[in-house]
Order: sequence, then structure tokens, then C-alpha cells
Amino acid sequence: MTAAGSLPGPDPREAGTQLRPGLWHTINSRYPGSMITKPDFVPLVALRKPLSECRVTFVSSCGVHLKNDAPMEVAHPFGDFTFRRVPSTAKHGDLIIHQLKYPHDDADLDINVIFPIERLQELAAEAVIGALTPEFFSFIGYNMDPERFEAIVARDIAAAVVEEQRADVALLAPA
Amino acid sequence: MGLIQREIEARGVPTVSVTVAKDSTAAIKAPRAVFVPWPMGHHFGAPFHFEVQRRVLFAMLELLQNATQSGEIRDLPIKWADVRREARILTEQGRRL
Repeated sequence: MTAAGSLPGPDPREAGTQLRPGLWHTINSRYPGSMITKPDFVPLVALRKPLSECRVTFVSSCGVHLKNDAPMEVAHPFGDFTFRRVPSTAKHGDLIIHQLKYPHDDADLDINVIFPIERLQELAAEAVIGALTPEFFSFIGYNMDPERFEAIVARDIAAAVVEEQRADVALLAPA
Repeated sequence: MGLIQREIEARGVPTVSVTVAKDSTAAIKAPRAVFVPWPMGHHFGAPFHFEVQRRVLFAMLELLQNATQSGEIRDLPIKWADVRREARILTEQGRRL
């Protein structure tokens, strides 16, 4: 039991700070070498036109995919170095998540909790953004080889976003 | 996620991400990120809480337009306790649909 006078700090849920402090070190001690530190910043690219004229894409590591698409390999010790394309017209009912590494019970109720595809469809319909790229991108964040991930998944998705989907803007979310 | 974000930005397309792990995002030096103090798997809030889901997207779009320095992580200070409280009722309504 902790004495009343030496309780830890405020409940992070009330304080508005990171819910699990030290996540980088926690994950890296559990999976050595999986976490990354980069020495340099990437120069910022400016928006070239108003958001209302921009084609927006979305990239997620939540592992979501169409129900009739092949599931991600979630049990492999090194991870899955492939990605899935999700049509930007898909709805909650078209999509499924098979992943063990984060809680997706709430996303199973409403996919927009982690992959806000229906909210983005609304923003496009409201002309807040110009349009959505035909496809969004999904993969699983668990992988034990960041160099291989960067060489394969990161470059392939980036090339698809820029050259094939011709996105003006990319929004990204881990899980 | 930061690796892909850096790769896309380096190819000339502006990017913004959302994070619940400020330390990891700072370590990888993502070009722009919005921080929400929420649990993993809930980067856009809670089920059927469309307003809070939109607020995260709008915060991302705003940062995209006015960030001045690469690596900026901007707080969206909405407490998880508030999101959870508001969402509980909405979730029950959603489950009944």
C-alpha cells in the first residue's frame, strides 16, 4: 500500500498528459531495436493550394482492410511487411481489423475511432477538403526490423501516395 | 508511422500525423503531429463521438496550414475522462441502432 502522503502524480486521464509515459522505452525494452530515433528533421513542404482544393490521403498502421481482402499476418515474430489498399469510399461495415497489439474493441464498434474514413468522406462532401484519393493505405505497426520496414513498406506506400494517388496532402495515424 | 510520414514529406507532399505517444513521435522527428492524451487505439476519440473525431481532423488540418518548424507537436488538450464520459451515452445509442 502506498502511504497517503506519497501517492504518485495526478491521474493522467484527468491531467491531459500522455496516458502511458515513457512508451518509447517501454516498447524498446520489450522489443529491443524496434523503436527508432532519427537525428535530423525533414524540411517542411508548404501547401501549394487551399485545403478545399487538395486531394487528401490517409495512411494508418491500424491494420484495417476490406473484409474480403487477405488478413495481415499478426502472429509472425518479425511482423508483416505488406500493406493493404482501402477504397476511400468504404464504410464501417466493409472493414475489419485483425491485430493483437493494441485494443481495437472500440474501433470494432466504430472504425472512425482509429481510421476516420467516414469523417473524411464528410469533410470532402462539405468541401472542407477538395477530394479523397481513390485509395487509403493500411499496414500493421508491429515490426521488428525498422530498416527493412523503411526500405520496403515506407517507400512503397510513399511512392503510391505521391506518384500514383497524386495526393496533395497526407494524414497519418498510428494505432 | 513516422518513417512513412518522413518519406512522404521528403517526396514533396505535406504531411501531418496524430499521436498518443509524444516521446516516440519526438524521437522519430515526424514533420508535424497533433498530440492527444488518449489511450492507444483511440487516436480519434471514442465510438460514435463524431464531434470529437472531427475536432482531431480539424486540428491536424490546421497544423498542416500553419506549422512553421519541422518536428512541431501541438497539443489538443481534451481530457480522456471527458471524451469517455460523453461517449458512453453515444455508444449506448449506437449499439441500439
